[in-house]
Amino acid sequence: MARKLSFLLAINEAMHQEMARDERVIILGEDIAGGAGGSAGNDEAWGGALGATQGLKTKYPHRVLDTPISESAFIGAAVGAAASGLRPIAELMFVDFMGVCFDQIFNQAAKFRYMFGGNAITPVVIRTMYGAGLRAASQHSQTLYPLFTHIPGLKVVVPSSPYDAKGLLITAVRDDDPVIFFEHKAMYELEGDVPEESYSIPFGEANIVREGGDVTVVAIGRMVQHALQAAETLAAEGIQIEIVDPRTTSPLDEETIYESVESTGRLVVVDEAHPRCSFASDVAALVAQNAFDALRAPIRMVTSPHSPVPFSPALEDVFVPSPERIAAAVRDVLGAKSGSRR
Amino acid sequence: MIQPSPEIVVGIVANAASGRDIRRLTTGASVFDNAEKGSMVARLMAGLGATGVGRVLMMPAGGGLAGTLIRRLDSRRDSLPYPELELLPWRPTETARDTDRAVRELLERGVAAIAVLGGDGTHRVVARGCGSTPLLALSTGTNNAFPELREATVAGLALGLVATGRGGPLALRREKLLEVSVNGGPRDVALVDVAASCQRFVGARAVWNAGDISELIVAFASPSAVGLSSIAGLIDPVGRYAPYGLHVRLGDPETAPMRVVVPLAPGLVVPVGVEWHRRLEPGGVAALGGGAGVIALDGERELELREGDRVSVKLVAGPLTIDVEQVMLQAAQLGVLRGPITSAVVAEEAQ
Amino acid sequence: MTVTAELSQESLLRGYRTMRTIRDFEERLHIEIANAQIPGFVHLYAGEEAVAAGVCSHLSDEDWVSSTHRGHGHAIAKGCDVKGMMAEIYGRATGLCKGKGGSMHIADFRRGMLGANGIVGGGPPLICGVGLSAKVRRSGQVGVAFLGDGASNQGTFLESLNLSAIWKLPVVFVVENNGYGEATGQSYHQAVEDIAKRADGFGLPGVTVDGNDYFAVAEAAGIAIGRARAGHGPTLLECKTTRFFGHFEGDTQTYRDPNEAAEARASRDCLVAFRARVTDAGLLAGAALDAIDVEIAQLIDESVAEALAAPWPDVSELSTDVYIKY
Repeated sequence: MARKLSFLLAINEAMHQEMARDERVIILGEDIAGGAGGSAGNDEAWGGALGATQGLKTKYPHRVLDTPISESAFIGAAVGAAASGLRPIAELMFVDFMGVCFDQIFNQAAKFRYMFGGNAITPVVIRTMYGAGLRAASQHSQTLYPLFTHIPGLKVVVPSSPYDAKGLLITAVRDDDPVIFFEHKAMYELEGDVPEESYSIPFGEANIVREGGDVTVVAIGRMVQHALQAAETLAAEGIQIEIVDPRTTSPLDEETIYESVESTGRLVVVDEAHPRCSFASDVAALVAQNAFDALRAPIRMVTSPHSPVPFSPALEDVFVPSPERIAAAVRDVLGAKSGSRR
Repeated sequence: MIQPSPEIVVGIVANAASGRDIRRLTTGASVFDNAEKGSMVARLMAGLGATGVGRVLMMPAGGGLAGTLIRRLDSRRDSLPYPELELLPWRPTETARDTDRAVRELLERGVAAIAVLGGDGTHRVVARGCGSTPLLALSTGTNNAFPELREATVAGLALGLVATGRGGPLALRREKLLEVSVNGGPRDVALVDVAASCQRFVGARAVWNAGDISELIVAFASPSAVGLSSIAGLIDPVGRYAPYGLHVRLGDPETAPMRVVVPLAPGLVVPVGVEWHRRLEPGGVAALGGGAGVIALDGERELELREGDRVSVKLVAGPLTIDVEQVMLQAAQLGVLRGPITSAVVAEEAQ
Repeated sequence: MTVTAELSQESLLRGYRTMRTIRDFEERLHIEIANAQIPGFVHLYAGEEAVAAGVCSHLSDEDWVSSTHRGHGHAIAKGCDVKGMMAEIYGRATGLCKGKGGSMHIADFRRGMLGANGIVGGGPPLICGVGLSAKVRRSGQVGVAFLGDGASNQGTFLESLNLSAIWKLPVVFVVENNGYGEATGQSYHQAVEDIAKRADGFGLPGVTVDGNDYFAVAEAAGIAIGRARAGHGPTLLECKTTRFFGHFEGDTQTYRDPNEAAEARASRDCLVAFRARVTDAGLLAGAALDAIDVEIAQLIDESVAEALAAPWPDVSELSTDVYIKY
């Protein structure tokens, strides 16, 4: 039975259900329970730095482990535990912190299967928070899924709704490959319909979030929400956009994107990441290479600029692609603005 | 204050090996780190310089120890009368061979005395080659019976007084030595105890399991000691300078006629069984029971035996050691160190 | 837990066979590389055999080891198939990793070999994970991370000491201190001489043993692994040893006293010492060891011949084994 649930609680519910289903699932990370060793004697004071893991420590005291602030050790331990019989979910609080543990992800976890000639399974999930909008400045706000998408051997999941978050996280836990699961920090409060029962959403299957015949808008993560807002504005102007959410950047459902572009002839890609070597540039390049004949206008990318995330609200608010910029790009590819090419 | 004289030379043997005692895993024994040993040598040299020793010849020691020592000396050389430090000019192998070689060369260079910083094992190796040259025996860990745990500055003063001929008539003591022969030929020595172990190889060296020991011969045994000798110490204490030793046959604590609870190593108190024990007179020879195994000297497995090897142990006169307490007492009585600067040296070094 | 129980003829022969296999494997690679038969980077383990053999003598296929770029010895000691290893190093389809890993990435999960590792310091966090897995599943398994003196300066190692100590993980960190991190001497790259002392700062016990002495390593490792299995937590075991060859094959070793390796071969060869001691003690006859020498020489000959005769991987293998399902 579906009911309204926040993005945060959808993720929490997925972990509760998977821990109950499979005792090999463990969770580890910094302050995921919060309070161990403190003078209050409360080993679950926080329930996670943002609350995503609340209630788990009490239920599974030996399978929920707070770690020291020691990312190389505990991310590596999650990888080693995955290789030797467990199915760990590690929480890397902010994806920005991958700088201190990336070796364990991209040289170890991602490579085992291949380097060892198919003679390894590494079912580890790394949940991590990304994105701008919380005035957290340059080292706590980045959108770094392109870096992980680049690495063969990793799967990269970027859910855009509470429903997807739960279904994709359950898939991630059951998947035998290493999965990096991106949660936008400005989306935790977002509510949506989420079934109570356990369900999974396959990787590599895009979701047509909204159908429309004029322009294909490929968006991911929080940008799907911004695209939906732009769609409302554009609909009032008589423009119908089709929003395609790939949900996973690796694997990527290229076919659904090509099919949509073939029906609309126009493509806008929206990505909160920086523009160079990004998800947006990847999708743009793939469409240009494989669906060029369908295009009736140049592809437009709507991204954050090639600059770090600023602190000041006055700057951060213009950093993130807004519904207005998305709408403008759509009008642009439709030739609605003067000076457009074609 | 006596100015250091380059004619007066003492030797230093400081064992840089540390943390190599398997008892760190089994019982929690601890040893000083090399930085502390380097500092000990520096403090020792302050005492030597203040008493007129002009030159120190030292066994080369691994980076940590010598490095700390040289840094400390460099930072104080201008203000205090330190002896010149000369490291014997070879690269250490970090085995007991270094100590053997260093002792040989120190004797050739005619040192007045040798300061030894180490455990029972290091002192044993020095003792087998030092002849009549007096030793200052300083412990660098918690697990030793032969050397003393003592502040190096004071020990340096006592050593300096002995080296400059002002130690007094009670300065030196004659230790005992256990001479170990295999098949009639002398092989090695021990200062405290010789034990027969049923282990076959030297392995990780330390004796850490009482069940492995079948026989024990001690030169001295204090009831308040820690280690193998405590077995003897708790059944028939033997004074350090008493003219005899003790031979103990061990057995299963469940069935042996006597059972005694002993501190076998720091942090390890266990019951052992005793079949019999008897005194070993000076010059007396005790044969150890047959069967191949390993002989432990002063707590460390050293000699691997072949099938049928016969092992005997003889109690003989050992090295001379400096009695720091007596030297300093006499210095006080005769006012040897009364002068303007000595107390300042000690005060600064204590900081 | 006394070594005495482990000094059965069978156990001694196994230890010798392991060390002899590693030595012959590496000496042969040294020759074949000079003949330009082997692609890529190879780091030889010769001289350090007593460490891998002594430690792994206490491990079963259920236990795990993480290894290093100098990993052939650990793989052999952990029971990896020698012919499969040789073929892997030659880049052939019949290699343990189908020719996709090479010398620096030999692994065999069925043998608890978590992989040689091209990243210095890559293994210790992984072994914490093995220990965590064993602890959560109450499986009684132990994890051993091999690393060198060079890796002992990596944050991953120090973080792993801490994590394993707070969680009391059933793991052992075995530092093979061969005196060099690549071309840089230990006296330059760290201010401590005994790396085992680093354990003190993290609240676990550490001890240093002579890594050229099989019996010293085996005894200390037995105690450390026994502690881990009994739930007493991690241990840091430092084995002082010697690298007979350079950092990699082709290394001219101009940073090394020209006599250093020769002197080590002459005075600290673990195989020579092992043979002398077990025969002197009357535990094994020289003939039994000679028979192993002959057998292993033949095994290595066959391994090289079979590797050279084996097919290269098919190009269709280029992009397989990236994922289990994608």
